[in-house]
Amino acid sequence: MALNLAVRAFELLLGFSLALQCIEYLRISALDRVNDWAILRKEIPERPRGVRALLDVLLTPRSYRILILLRLALAIGLMSGGLGLSGAVLLFAIALVLLLRWRGAFNGGSDFMTLVGLTGLLMAHAVGAFKGMDVGWRAGLWYVTLQSLTSYFMSGWVKLLHPSWRSGRALPQFLDTGIYGPLAPDSAYRKPWLARGISWTFTVWEGLFPLALLDVRLAALFCAVASVFHFLVFRHFGLNRFFWAWMTTYPAILWCASQPLG
Amino acid sequence: MTAFTLITLVLVGVYFVWLAFFGLRRHRHLVQGPWLFFFRAFFPNWKFYHAAGKAPRLYVRAQGADGAWGDWQRVYARMPWRAGHVLHNPVVNLALNHQNLVDHLWSDVQDLPEGGDIRERATYQLVTRLAHEAVRGGRWGEVAMLSAPSPDAPHFQFELRMDALLEHDRLPVSSELVLQSPVLATWH
Repeated sequence: MALNLAVRAFELLLGFSLALQCIEYLRISALDRVNDWAILRKEIPERPRGVRALLDVLLTPRSYRILILLRLALAIGLMSGGLGLSGAVLLFAIALVLLLRWRGAFNGGSDFMTLVGLTGLLMAHAVGAFKGMDVGWRAGLWYVTLQSLTSYFMSGWVKLLHPSWRSGRALPQFLDTGIYGPLAPDSAYRKPWLARGISWTFTVWEGLFPLALLDVRLAALFCAVASVFHFLVFRHFGLNRFFWAWMTTYPAILWCASQPLG
Repeated sequence: MTAFTLITLVLVGVYFVWLAFFGLRRHRHLVQGPWLFFFRAFFPNWKFYHAAGKAPRLYVRAQGADGAWGDWQRVYARMPWRAGHVLHNPVVNLALNHQNLVDHLWSDVQDLPEGGDIRERATYQLVTRLAHEAVRGGRWGEVAMLSAPSPDAPHFQFELRMDALLEHDRLPVSSELVLQSPVLATWH
């Protein structure tokens, strides 16, 4: 896979993922009557001085809306391929403000992987400013790839260590808690042999994900299965942001896997 | 294969072997400190997979003007699935965020120091708002937070329970009380 193609695909997917999040944030502001900044701000440490005051200014309803609209504009800029170092810095800085606004995470794992994408983008532009964009993007894409592979590897091996995942018992229990759940009483997932088979399939696939680096065809297969996996997670748990946040990393994985070993 | 490639492959291999033997241990207090708490999204977390078996759940009940208490009801979102949610899903994401607050309140209760007051924690105050919203007839989009809200109730109360994920007739097979709020007045 050519570097410029991987970069373009990465920028498009990351920009799309960010834009989707921004449009949701705008709607959530109107819906949410629980996450009151007057309460949340008390958790912000008093030192360094001035941070809480700065956040009070940035996170008034009007300023927050402007911040999200700015992020949306930057995401569109990223998709168009016209975002430079200053844009990458701004996107990263807004991500930090959003972490403070949402007690460290709005949506858990998708925030983590979005930060990985934004850090890779920042790394590419920061290194690129000194060593040229070619070197910058190589560094950024490798960073994103290692983080993504680590994430799959760890979740596979964590499951492997748990008897309830190995036996398949955990699968229907988790699916029952899904926001689109619970499972129907006669759901196929309740069949122990099927639940065990699915658990083992995904556990082994996740645990072996680092092998994707050995060959681009293998990487394509791993990423294709990953897309199905994340769509199923969305189907049961409603985690649409996870789907897009992880998709963002696949161009980087495919590019890294296509690098000749010799 | 060049020496450089070989070294790179060995380093990547060592990294994943190290993860398998060290990274998989539970590090309950690895991420500490107020700023690290806010920036914990920089560190991956696999607590989700460790948590198989039980999970914190919020229950609320309302007191009518006649002083009679209603039944305890669980505040837990169930939504109709739509394929289009893959592109735009604010209501479900908000409901998941609200459940995260309940999870974090449980975590704060576990970490509360001797003599500490849980009511001072932001999670307690936010979950109080969530419970109030539910009692007063709040909704996640089209879906009501409670099947039988009490919009005019003068008082309400909430409980945090640790419920078994395994259910029988749509009820958890076990439900352990973690925290019960005092009787609270509703507000407008």
